Amino acid sequence: MLWACVLLPQLALDGVMRRRENPEEPLALISGTAQRRVLQTVNPAARAMGLRAGQSLTAAHAMTREFATVEYDPDETERWHRLLAAWAYRFSSHVSLKYPRVLLMEVESSFGLFGPWPVFEALLRQELTELGFTHRIVAAPNPLAARMLANAHDGLAVCDGDSLHEVLAEMPVNRIGLPTEVATSLARMGLHRVRQVQALPRDTLARRFPAAVLQHLDTLFGRRPMGLECYVPPDRFDTRIELNFDVESHQALLFPLKRMIADLAVFLAGRDSGVQRFVIHLEHVPSVGSVAPDTQIPVGLLSAEREANMLFELARGRLEQVEVPSPVRALRLQAKDLPAFVPTHRELFDDRPQQTMPWEQLRERLRARLGDEAVAGLGFNADHRPEHASLPASPSKPLALTHKVPRPGWLLPEPELLTEPGLRVLAGPERIESGWWDGGDVRRDYYLVETRNGQRGWAYRSVGDSSLLLHGWFA
Amino acid sequence: MSAGYAELHCLSNFSFQRGASSAKELFERAKLHGYQALAITDECTLAGIVRAWQAAKECELPLIIGSEITVENGPKIVLLVENLAGYQALCRLITQGRRRSKKGEYRLLHEDFQQPVAGLLALWLPDLDQDIPTRREQGNWLRGIFQQNLWLSVELHCGPDDRKRLNTLLGMARAMAIPAVASGDVHMHARGRRALQDTMSAVRHHTTVAEAGHRLFANGERHLRPLSVLSEVYPASLLIETLNIARRCTFDLSELRYEYPHELVPPDQSPSSWLRHLTEQGASCRWPHGVPEVARSNIEKELKVIAAKRYESYFLTVHDIVSFAREQHILCQGRGSAANSTVCFALGITELDPSKSNLLFERFISEERDEPPDIDVDFEHERREEVLQYVFRRYGRGRAALTAVASTYHGAGAVRDVARVLGLPPDQINALADCFSRWSDSMPPAERLRECGFEPDSPILRRVLTLTGELIGFPRHLSQHPGGFVISEHPLETLVPVENAAMADRTIIQWDKDDLDLVGLLKVDILALGMLSALRRTFDLVRGYRGYDLTLATIPAEDKPTYDMISRADTIGVFQIESRAQMSMLPRLKPSTFYDLVIEVAIVRPGPIQGGMVHPYLRRKNGEEAVTYPSEELKVVFERTLGVPLFQEQVMQLAIVAADYSPGEADQLRRSMAAWKRHGGLEPHRIRLSERMKEKGYPDEFIQRIFEQIKGFGSYGFPESHAASFALLTYASCWLKCHEPAAFTCALINSWPMGFYSPDQLLQDARRHQIDVHPVDVRYSDWDCSLEPVAGREYNQNLAIRMGLRMIRGFREEDARRIEQARGIRDFKDVADLCIRAELDNRARAALADSGALRGLVGHRHRARWEIAGVEMQRPLFGDDCFGEEAQVALPLPSVAQDLAADYDTLGTTLGPHPLALLRHKLAAKRFRSSKDLLDEEHGRSFSVAGLVVGRQRPGTASGVTFVTLEDEHGMINVVVWRDLAERQRKVLVGSQLMQVFGKFEFQKGVRHIIAQRLFDLTPMLTGLDVRSRDFK
Repeated sequence: MLWACVLLPQLALDGVMRRRENPEEPLALISGTAQRRVLQTVNPAARAMGLRAGQSLTAAHAMTREFATVEYDPDETERWHRLLAAWAYRFSSHVSLKYPRVLLMEVESSFGLFGPWPVFEALLRQELTELGFTHRIVAAPNPLAARMLANAHDGLAVCDGDSLHEVLAEMPVNRIGLPTEVATSLARMGLHRVRQVQALPRDTLARRFPAAVLQHLDTLFGRRPMGLECYVPPDRFDTRIELNFDVESHQALLFPLKRMIADLAVFLAGRDSGVQRFVIHLEHVPSVGSVAPDTQIPVGLLSAEREANMLFELARGRLEQVEVPSPVRALRLQAKDLPAFVPTHRELFDDRPQQTMPWEQLRERLRARLGDEAVAGLGFNADHRPEHASLPASPSKPLALTHKVPRPGWLLPEPELLTEPGLRVLAGPERIESGWWDGGDVRRDYYLVETRNGQRGWAYRSVGDSSLLLHGWFA
Repeated sequence: MSAGYAELHCLSNFSFQRGASSAKELFERAKLHGYQALAITDECTLAGIVRAWQAAKECELPLIIGSEITVENGPKIVLLVENLAGYQALCRLITQGRRRSKKGEYRLLHEDFQQPVAGLLALWLPDLDQDIPTRREQGNWLRGIFQQNLWLSVELHCGPDDRKRLNTLLGMARAMAIPAVASGDVHMHARGRRALQDTMSAVRHHTTVAEAGHRLFANGERHLRPLSVLSEVYPASLLIETLNIARRCTFDLSELRYEYPHELVPPDQSPSSWLRHLTEQGASCRWPHGVPEVARSNIEKELKVIAAKRYESYFLTVHDIVSFAREQHILCQGRGSAANSTVCFALGITELDPSKSNLLFERFISEERDEPPDIDVDFEHERREEVLQYVFRRYGRGRAALTAVASTYHGAGAVRDVARVLGLPPDQINALADCFSRWSDSMPPAERLRECGFEPDSPILRRVLTLTGELIGFPRHLSQHPGGFVISEHPLETLVPVENAAMADRTIIQWDKDDLDLVGLLKVDILALGMLSALRRTFDLVRGYRGYDLTLATIPAEDKPTYDMISRADTIGVFQIESRAQMSMLPRLKPSTFYDLVIEVAIVRPGPIQGGMVHPYLRRKNGEEAVTYPSEELKVVFERTLGVPLFQEQVMQLAIVAADYSPGEADQLRRSMAAWKRHGGLEPHRIRLSERMKEKGYPDEFIQRIFEQIKGFGSYGFPESHAASFALLTYASCWLKCHEPAAFTCALINSWPMGFYSPDQLLQDARRHQIDVHPVDVRYSDWDCSLEPVAGREYNQNLAIRMGLRMIRGFREEDARRIEQARGIRDFKDVADLCIRAELDNRARAALADSGALRGLVGHRHRARWEIAGVEMQRPLFGDDCFGEEAQVALPLPSVAQDLAADYDTLGTTLGPHPLALLRHKLAAKRFRSSKDLLDEEHGRSFSVAGLVVGRQRPGTASGVTFVTLEDEHGMINVVVWRDLAERQRKVLVGSQLMQVFGKFEFQKGVRHIIAQRLFDLTPMLTGLDVRSRDFK
């Protein structure tokens, strides 16, 4: 058997760089606590400016401010890892994700399909380069050797045990995956190469180090088999298409959407399931210094389906109602809810009246017909300013009214001048002075007023202004 | 026309993160509005009350002392102090509430009110959100406790329906027969502080203002409202009632009577006679052959002054603490105005004989001045805790506590809090904070902000900056003073509330040292000083190896070789004059007497530097400029400093002589100097000084310089009285460095961390002075570094330093002690014997092997590591070990470079060649100069040098200059990097461990340095070495 190790030395960075327009722009991924922000990785342009991984952001800023920063996101890196596993799965049915930033795959069995190793390797490299991932590839007779040799080599292919022995002997002891304290111990004994360690009598090593150390060496040299857990394609669907240009119209989104949904349908058919709910994410072009949140378009079905056209038509209906707030850079389709597909069949004695439907369904239908904006619940926001205190909110989360002050149920979108004669002041003034922090500072005296025909209104005067403005009605 | 009003519920900014105005602002505003009195009722604290008292006096508006308290599971009340008994009851309640919880919090329980509360008036602040039975229960409980001294407080702030609220509250009051009164729940002096108040609330709730929601007040009504507004809001009867209450609260802090502990004086003695007795006793020890005439008359004079000011008990208290330290062999040294007295010398509080040092007691303390005596005592830094605990033990926690420090907001901290609650992202918060210099309170200029990518005119930044400006100087929390003790005859809680400090076993009072001054409480400062530890250890070593006893007082005075050494700036490791700035001054100043050292200690400080006094003094000292005096009358003041004002005391004296200040006014000036950054208040002095001095014909330029110096003293006041005590330690350490260099270096390392230099630098310096240094070796090394005799050498080179196991990074003292013990029984046979008898675990064994400490037992490091890895912890049950004899394996020998790297890695120093020695041939090939070559170079030449970067400093007084210290195998090279080069080559400057500097060599008056023109990073040449630089401290 021959195992290939594909090492992705800058997986996280490459993942981010794929999204960015100018690869020459210095970029650093940032992690760490709010108190101590640290550069996780830097791209070559940033390295050229003297920035280093592990540096604190403050130290880096002390040097230069001419570089972009992106928050390091381990989850995203994990997604890339899985994406590449799915990619590797095309080439081998034995793919392992045992090591971070590494794909281990058995390749000899696939020579029939992809050609002998040099050709095969070239193919892998070409595709990885196209995908935009920096890589190192090493092949060796056992997976552990392939993995460890990749620490020091690129493009090395060792096919037999003897050559493996030779190559491994020259490896530094701190690069072959031994626990740090063992590697340090060895180095402090003056043993820097595997060769030196191999030369020592086995019993002297056994006396000084835990049994796992000799086992590790044996596995490395292929004297012990290595158990590897194989990658299994996921039971949920998550795909993402990055657009080549920024898209602002629905029309231009339909084609990639159709492709994604077709993939979904194939995926569903493969595992004999359907989908009841999926979400289309529109990922927006990040504006300077900030990343706009995705627009999420949930598509819900009454029952599990998997027919591509039907799914597409549904999705399209939802997509077209959405106002695209800013240019879209990528589309993503996520389906987690994949129940077994059950063909529709009708009960003989279906006694449910046609008209009644659960509230959620009605709400969904209304929203599908009228648009998301048209149907909204009332949410309460803790803010003294009335216009900020009640907001349209997702109806799924009922909120308790926390602040015990009388407030009108119906707040006018814009306060109106109240000129009606014969108003009676029932209470007030209640002074509200708040909101200086967002430029919307208000200073108002509110009154509970009653009109001549008994309506109770809520009206205010801005401090220093005599006109009375109606702001809402009490029910 | 309204009848008048007294505000009875008002928080100052000592209700941390609640009150948004200082007491001063509050009093000024209340006075302006015509209030009849103002209560300061900070939440469960009296920490701000002295400042309020001061503000009240300035504004001539009566202060009512009080506190707002929420009883656990009970009502919220405001307690107001009617008389002394009430004040003491309040202090007791606050102490109970605070001592029960951790720092910054309190818990007051219902049962706390079972004790007498006479003299306290209570305002009940009912919570209308609670149900009626709960409210009634609370009202009844309160009435049971306070009886006729209870009011129901009505607070109206333009809420949703004030009329209804008023009626409800009045209804309750009537129903429960409790009189009603108006109060304002004031959080700020004016409505304009609304934004700041919101900001502080958000800080307190750890949220942003946008998310704080209803935790913010709905409006800004909680300020001091004009009477006209109040009379519209409240019925007149409620307002009149405030005056009735205010009239009853007449307690004034000046009624507090503080008494020293009595137990220090035997029953048949008075403090006065006992102090005389102890002084006489001490004097006969100091002068066994009879007290000299001068000292005798000084003692008489001083005792008279002390008696007149009734300070005897203060001196007795300090004497008691110092005596304890002496019994425990803890070295200590007093400093401060009163410490430089003959009495203190006799009592052993100071080791400095004032008759020898050109210091006059009256200069520091006098009958006319109302300045409290000030004695700070420094103790060995590792043993100060013993002294602190002694004081707690001796007087009990009820009678002794540490002073508080009200930590205030500085620029960077304030902008951090403000920016955070305004929702700025962390990166920007850090960047903004960087725009503020560390401890400065001034706002950064707009250009600086723009440089960092901020737009100062944007609305958000304007908000941040305005609020930051308001917040700077506000107290933030109480923390403990490093060592200021207050000790009292009566329980402290009858004077001031006591609370827990953050550290376990510490209690602090709620007042800081300025508060104590104002109220007339005296404190003793018990401080920690590393050099004292080092000196005591040196004395111990000298006693052990040389067989003679030294003390601070018996070190031979005015020793010429010592002064010669100082004048060569050969002062690495000594006290105070070891920094680079100090060292560059020494060859110019050439100290030759003790008083020169006093000046040296004081001169390299912001006061003299900002006043431009350094160079004139140097010129005069070297005879390059005539000694003149601004006027004949000032000659007395400035004679000892050659006509140049250097000390804070001189400035005060100048004010008296040249500007007709009274001693009391001069003392005011001293206080203002110390506080001007925080409170301002120097302007009146500037006007007064310059007007009067002008009248007397002093030149403008002189007046201007004096004033700059006054401002410099403000930040880092360093009076002569302290300089003199420090100079004594400086002299002692220099004498020891000169005559007992091995013992001194050894003691410094054993006291580390302290001082300016690392053990590595200290050992290198020792070796340059021909002191042998022996490596760490388990056969000989103790935990501490020790001394070993060397035969056939001169006296001051005949002791070698044996490096101690403490130098091994990560090695634990308990392991070292077991090694010492096991070795004491018999020498180690081999590593197995060592590991087993000293019970060393893997970590300890590895550390020993890697550091080379096993060389005597097994040979080189690699072998040592191999051997100890093979030692089994358990002795086999029968005979030999179970693996039997194993074959000897071949291990590679460490190379010189590997040994060097391992030395630095494990010990932080090497006895082998210096890294630069290993690189020298490469550097020499490029014609780089070494530090030794510089001794023969000419001034003005340009060339390159290279060295390990061991120091980078950017002193605030040096306008952007960075001082870099390079080290090579022969010594140090001082490099000056001007600001523009530093900015252009920042990366190299900050990032290099090994640096090449090309520049111009300057050599003037014994001072050598390179003015850098270009920097290069040579770090890659060093791969593997670990040399830690001391970055911008």
